[in-house]
Order: sequence, then C-alpha cells, then structure tokens
Amino acid sequence: MKSVADIAAAVREGRVTAADVAHDTGVRLAAADAAGLNATLHWSPQLLEQEATRVAAGTSDGLLAGVPVAIKDNIVTEEQPTTCGSRILEGYRSPYNATVVERLRSAGAMIAGKTNLDEFAMGSSTEHSAYGRVRHPLDAERVPGGSSGGSAALVAAGVVPAALGSETGGSVRQPASFCGIVGLKPGYGRVSRSGLVAFGSSLDCVSVFGATVADAASLLHVISGPDPYDATTVDAPPVAIPEHRDHLEGVVIGLPRECFPDDLDAGVRAACDRTVARLRSLGAEVRDVSLPHSRYAVATYYVINPAEASANLARYDGVRYGQRRGDGVDLPTLYRATRGEGFGAEVQRRIITGTYVLSAGYYDAYYTRAQQARNRIAGDFDRLFREEGVSYLFTPTTPTVAFKAGEKTEDPVAMYLADIFVCAVSLAGLPALSIPIGRSEGLPVGGHFIGPALDETGLLQAAAVVEQAVDGDAEVRP
Amino acid sequence: MTIRREEMLRVAALAELGVAEEDAERLARDIAAIVEYVSLLEGLPVEEGVRPFVPGPAQVRLREDVVAPIPLAHPPADMAPEFVGGLYVVPRLGAMEGE
Repeated sequence: MKSVADIAAAVREGRVTAADVAHDTGVRLAAADAAGLNATLHWSPQLLEQEATRVAAGTSDGLLAGVPVAIKDNIVTEEQPTTCGSRILEGYRSPYNATVVERLRSAGAMIAGKTNLDEFAMGSSTEHSAYGRVRHPLDAERVPGGSSGGSAALVAAGVVPAALGSETGGSVRQPASFCGIVGLKPGYGRVSRSGLVAFGSSLDCVSVFGATVADAASLLHVISGPDPYDATTVDAPPVAIPEHRDHLEGVVIGLPRECFPDDLDAGVRAACDRTVARLRSLGAEVRDVSLPHSRYAVATYYVINPAEASANLARYDGVRYGQRRGDGVDLPTLYRATRGEGFGAEVQRRIITGTYVLSAGYYDAYYTRAQQARNRIAGDFDRLFREEGVSYLFTPTTPTVAFKAGEKTEDPVAMYLADIFVCAVSLAGLPALSIPIGRSEGLPVGGHFIGPALDETGLLQAAAVVEQAVDGDAEVRP
Repeated sequence: MTIRREEMLRVAALAELGVAEEDAERLARDIAAIVEYVSLLEGLPVEEGVRPFVPGPAQVRLREDVVAPIPLAHPPADMAPEFVGGLYVVPRLGAMEGE
C-alpha cells in the first residue's frame, strides 16, 4: 500500500488517475470481504467510481487528491447508510454529510466506504457490532481492538492508506496499537463533530488512522479547524503538518510510573523499554513522573461515559430515527420494545448504568464523585505540562497485545480495563497517539505519546522522530 | 453494592428500555459488577461542591456569548420548498433505505 502522500502526488502529477485508485481500492475491499475480515458495513464499486469522477472533475490538486479514506459508520454520509453498528439504525440514511467528510472531499479524498464498529462506539474489541465481529488482520482468532476496529483493520490490512474513527475513551489508539498502525486522537474541540453520532458529548472526538505518522498528520490537517456547525470547536487554525526532524534534543519525556505496573505484559514492557532507550539516544531527557489520580480513570470514565450515553441515546425511540417495534399498543410499549430489541447487550448495559448513576439517591455518590475525579485527573496532566516542564508523556497504549475473541465478552469490567492507559487522556481532553513500537510473539505493541492541549503538531513531530528510530515490525523479546 | 434484578428492571424502565426475561439475570449481574467497580471512587477524598469539568483548551470556554443566527447545513427551502397554509411541507427525515 502506498502512502497518502505518494497516492496524492501520483494523482496530482497525472501518473495515475483517481479512477485507477478507486478500482484498485475496490479490488482490495472485495478481497478483504472475501477473506472474512468483516471490516466494512457498506461500500460499492459504483460509489467508488462516483468518487473518482468527482475528484477528476474538480479537486484533483488537493492535499489528498485521489486518496481513498474509509469512514467509521458513526460518521454520517449522504451516499451510504449510517448504522452505528446497530440494528436500531439499520438502513438509516443521513440527509447531510459530516463536516469531516466534506473537508476530506474538498481536499480531493475519495470516501472508500463505511467501516464496522462496536455498536454506537461502545466497546474495546469490535465484537459488539450487530453485524458481526471484525477479525484481526494478522490472526482471525483475535480482535482488532475497538470501537473503531473496522477502520483499523482496513488500514492494517493495506486496503486503504488512512481512515477516520472516533474516540470517546481510546477507541482509535487502542485498535491502532492492536493492529500495528498509527492512531491519533486530537485534543477535544480540534475537529468538528457535526455529523459524528453523539455518544459521550464531553469526550467524543473524530480521530484518524494512518499507516504512518505522516499519513495521520495529513488527514488531521485537512479535517481540523473551527466549524460553525459545532460550537465546541476550538477557535484555532487547522493543525499544521510538522516539519521533518531527526532528533529529540530539548524534549522532555515523562514516564508516568502508574502506567508501568508490575503485572504489565512482558512483551509490552520489553517494547516500551527498547523505545525509552531510543528516546534517550535521540537526545530526549527522560524523567520518571506521576499521575497519582490515574488509578481512578477507568472508574471515572465508566460513570461519566454511561451517564452521557444514556442521555444521548434517548433519541432512539422508534419515532424519530430508525427501526420501530411494538407499534399499535401505546407509546411506552413502542419505546421499550424498539429500544429493547434494537440495542445490543453492551449498549443496554451502558444505558442502564448511566440511568442508575444519574438517578436520585445515587447522583452524588457516583456522578458528582466522578466529576471531582475528572478534575483531579486533568489537573495531574496540567501540573506535568505546565509546572514540571514535561513536553510529552510516554506509556504503553494497552496492557497486552490483541486478545482472543470471546475472551472478555462475558466480563464487562475486564473489557473496560483494556483501556486503562488511554481513557485518562480522553477525560482530560488532550491529544495523544499510538505508534507501533515492536511485536510480541508476532503481534503488534503500541507506544502511546500524550501532549498538552493544542500541541498536536509538536506531538506528531516527536512521534515521527521515534517512528524513524524504532522498527515497529521487529520482534522484541522480554 | 449489590444491584438486584428488580432494581435493574426499575432503572431500565426509567430509561424506556425493554429487557427480555432471559436477559434480566445476566444484565443485573453485569450492572452490579460495573457499579461495584466504579465504587472505587469512594476512595477519593470528598470535596465540598464540584466544579463541572469543561473539556478542551481555554479557547473553547472564551467563546463570546451573543445571540447570532444559527448556520444550517442546508437552508430550510432546500429541504422543504413547499409552504402551505403557513407550514413547511417537509420530506420525512431520515428516510429509510429502500422506501
């Protein structure tokens, strides 16, 4: 698979046409479907052809000229259905495109198709899709991570060079780590959410996957920036593409000791140790630091996230959107039947948990406490970046490599703990990315870099330096 | 804290969520496990009051609070060109595929 920059340059210079790229993408998508990856929910050769015609007609000089980009199916598109991986939205078609889709197209990108996900982006394995689980591209018995597992699997399998996902609590960084690609979550407000189906409104971010840091940076540059359709976007210019650098002199990297516990998987630890040695040899000052409230991050996240989800998903009632069940009796019956039959198990768990923690008698014990914890967690990061002179933090992205399908589906808390190193960043609204830093028993290990607010460009630049110095495909032995 | 089946069903009803009989025990067990895990937050010292967390950098918070027209993705006339008896005649929103 060629990089984003190579494809765009070839199309701009006329060495290949957008139609050629679209055709080849269709061949690869069909092969991925035939191989049982189950990463796509909707794509067609006809729509790819239409995209190529549109690019040829007007936008073939853009930064992403002719680049096929897959879109997670909780980001709305006019031409394809948007299901969020749920039966309740089966066949739903949006009357408009998300801002990020419009921006990709304005830069010349072609929408390759819609990708499979955990239902309403709730999950860490992409096993909770109503349309079947996504297979890991390297081992079909394992999960690709989630919730943006379809997008991650397509990029990792070389079907598309880049894809959009969404993050609420690690849903791009975690699958990027499992699949051995780059996953970048921008800071809260950097990218418009107009057209991203709402799940956890104080957490949701459209995020990007690429095979390389440069590919991810190109996509983020195109989709970021203020949007009049989303009042939560930051009034700051689009994220600049970083200039090339080959050292980390003057950069201070913090290693939060809470993210390197004694029971960390030996292969993950070995890959992290190797990366830390490279950070030092590249000139970075590496410091041991502390995020003392990070032990509360998963608990905090699983109060705030279900609380917001229970409110956001109240709109799926069989009247305004999607499928309808229990018609012809009375309104409560229609609501309960539609939602009971339309939502899968994980969505039901989150709605009930969210309603519980917001209900009278429990609000202060759970929701108020979680808000206080969130302030403390964000305060920990703020102290390191503002007062202690730390430039970026480095942690493992996940405590283990990709786990086997079915291993955690019966234990929701075990599944939630797969996000233990990534969800604190989401609570704090900071930018972060995962890059491949080696393999353990053949499976990718991700390294997680976290930056201060509005420093996506610096974060990408530092990560690109590490990417050049660390062989992400090399087996690392404990 | 243990969440019993009846309490889980009461909360599900508050959320307008029908729970199938065969799923009720499993859901109650799952919710109890989740609530037990998040009770970890009881270990935090209690603070008086709570500042609501505002995500994102300061630029998000400093937006001027003024009344302004809301930009629409498409002007109403694009979606509902017919105006009858003082009312827009609109197509069905979110029309289902194949209908």
